[in-house]
Amino acid sequence: MRKPLLVLLALAAVVALVATAASAGTHKAKVTNVTLAGWSSGPDEDQLLNQVIAKFNATHKTIHATFSVINGDYATAMTARFAAHNPPDVFYVDSSVAPGWEAQGVVQPLNSYITKSKYDTSKFYPSLLRAFTVGKTVYGFPKDWSPLAMEISNAAMAKVHGKRPTTWAQLQALAQSMATQGAVPNGRPICLSADWARFLPFVFQNGASLGNITSPAATAAANFYVGLIQKGLAQTPDKLGAGWCGEALGKQTAAIAFEGNWLLPYMSSTYPQVKFGIYPMVKQKTGGNLGFTVSYSMAKDSKNKAAAWTLLSWLTSKTGQTLWMSKGLALPSRSDVKAVGGRQAFLAAAPYAHGWGFPNFSTAYTIMNNDMSAVITGSKTVEQMLADAANALRG
Amino acid sequence: MSAVASTSQPRSTMLGVRLREAGWGYAFVLVPMAVFGLFFIYPFAYMLYISFHNWGILGSQGSAGWSNYSQVIHDPIFHTALKNIAEYTIGVVPLEMALGLSLALIVNAKIHGKKFFRSAFYFPSIASSVAITTIALYLFNYNGLFNHVFGFHRAWFTDASTDTWAIVGLNAWTTSGTIMLWYLAALQSIPTDVYEAAALDNTSTWRTFWKITFPLLRPAHFFVLVVFGVGALKLFDQSYIASGGTGGPNYSLYNPVLYIFRAAFAGGAGNFGLAAAAGVIYFLIIFAVTIVQRLTVGRREAT
Repeated sequence: MRKPLLVLLALAAVVALVATAASAGTHKAKVTNVTLAGWSSGPDEDQLLNQVIAKFNATHKTIHATFSVINGDYATAMTARFAAHNPPDVFYVDSSVAPGWEAQGVVQPLNSYITKSKYDTSKFYPSLLRAFTVGKTVYGFPKDWSPLAMEISNAAMAKVHGKRPTTWAQLQALAQSMATQGAVPNGRPICLSADWARFLPFVFQNGASLGNITSPAATAAANFYVGLIQKGLAQTPDKLGAGWCGEALGKQTAAIAFEGNWLLPYMSSTYPQVKFGIYPMVKQKTGGNLGFTVSYSMAKDSKNKAAAWTLLSWLTSKTGQTLWMSKGLALPSRSDVKAVGGRQAFLAAAPYAHGWGFPNFSTAYTIMNNDMSAVITGSKTVEQMLADAANALRG
Repeated sequence: MSAVASTSQPRSTMLGVRLREAGWGYAFVLVPMAVFGLFFIYPFAYMLYISFHNWGILGSQGSAGWSNYSQVIHDPIFHTALKNIAEYTIGVVPLEMALGLSLALIVNAKIHGKKFFRSAFYFPSIASSVAITTIALYLFNYNGLFNHVFGFHRAWFTDASTDTWAIVGLNAWTTSGTIMLWYLAALQSIPTDVYEAAALDNTSTWRTFWKITFPLLRPAHFFVLVVFGVGALKLFDQSYIASGGTGGPNYSLYNPVLYIFRAAFAGGAGNFGLAAAAGVIYFLIIFAVTIVQRLTVGRREAT
């Protein structure tokens, strides 16, 4: 009867000792937990980001950062968390939603932190940093970016003995010869989304802009884009058995796609057997492209702002970004960090890239894309679509 | 005196008993009412309050008067959403009622394996609508099994000309199991003597159904029409999933609930004032539809 009691007492003493030792340990080095949230662009990227964060944690003994992926509709999930005053400390902000969130006051201005820690912002490409700046207030640093490029299947190109198109006319001619020679037997030569995030570069290429979206130059761009579909040279991804044009290229139901740097890791992991060339976007009157960028920003409601700033500024520093670029999943947003090889077609777009986003974004973008699909099916005219877009942009 | 006293005594006890009973009654009602108040009345009142404000992610940014209401009422997208949901409801409700009634007649008949059929028909009703829609999107996409077997060339759920009808078909199938149960209960409550009388008159099965069974199911028709009609007006998940949350292509999958959701959340917009106003307007519309149903179908049912 006595023995078990003694054992129990001894055990209790050990537990108490360990507990005091452990709590003494935490008292010595107080660790601040910082949460980082973003969306996932695939297992490769998640793994890389976790490696980068592990490096941060190893070099910063007083801060422990954890990355949590928000699956599904990121902007919706974040809106709910802002409203509940329970946002992650540091998070991704897409350039398209940045103006809205900045105006709503949920993103922390960084100017005082920049001044206090003498953080050098001059290395960021100005056009990218501008996407997260209002007046002189900085709301985040671009973590990376990508413009669009033109990807063409090597097999289809070889079949028609084609060469890289540089103008609209050459692009159409190449697609025409692919169509007549049956280079894409199960689909169409070009994959075009009913999406202004793919159509806008053509507007810029024709010398038009969102400011004069109803101009003859913009109308001509829309006629060219939709015309490729109407001529049977292009099709939307859903009609090519794909969720997006990258998938259509992989399934070989299209030979030409206009996608960003994100296509490359996707293709090598999902369709490694499909070989394709990456070329700069076609030009018309001028070059035209979109720059898709995402920032690391801090929440205004963050409870650990000092630690959050340490994490944010480290991730976007030369050290942090060099690690982030090591696998070539995106392009550097800093001039002092080099991109991995094979990205010339993307880097060539830098001078022509317009930041992705516009006023009244979520409403306008919905109207633009719904109208675009209406134009493709013939239930709206190009002129109606552009007029609706101009209206929506005015808010 | 004594006589008065002797009669007043039981009366006051009766009153006491009644009061006590009422007290208990209210006590029992109190809990569900508190839940109802907390999760329905309070949020509804708060929604009314929000609808008159410019309400952002972090709360009110000032009073808005009627401007949110005016914006919703004049928004062509809201009009399209209403037109779409009307089309959908008019399409889906008769179809699911017909399907549910047919299934009920099958499982009510004297056949072998009744229990198996009953469970099989009910199964889609308990499966998650999100899972069912996702699977349907695969089966009915451009290169899906359906097109492969039947030789069509169409992405049924993402083509503006077929997507509403694809969702009508899908939802008629998933809800028919529940409707079957309601009709089954109603069928089993029809007294057998009316059928016996019909049998004596040598009435055909077809005539028996249309002259006896169908009219006697009137309370069930009304119930199903109201409950599933309102249910259809609240369509959201299937449209959200099939359109990727955009209501497209060409606004064909836009519906009022998606409109409310998008105003509040899409692209991190956080326009809760507008969303609340749209919610109030749509509540009034559904309320009016129910009243009309009550006054038309319901009145006939009562007589």
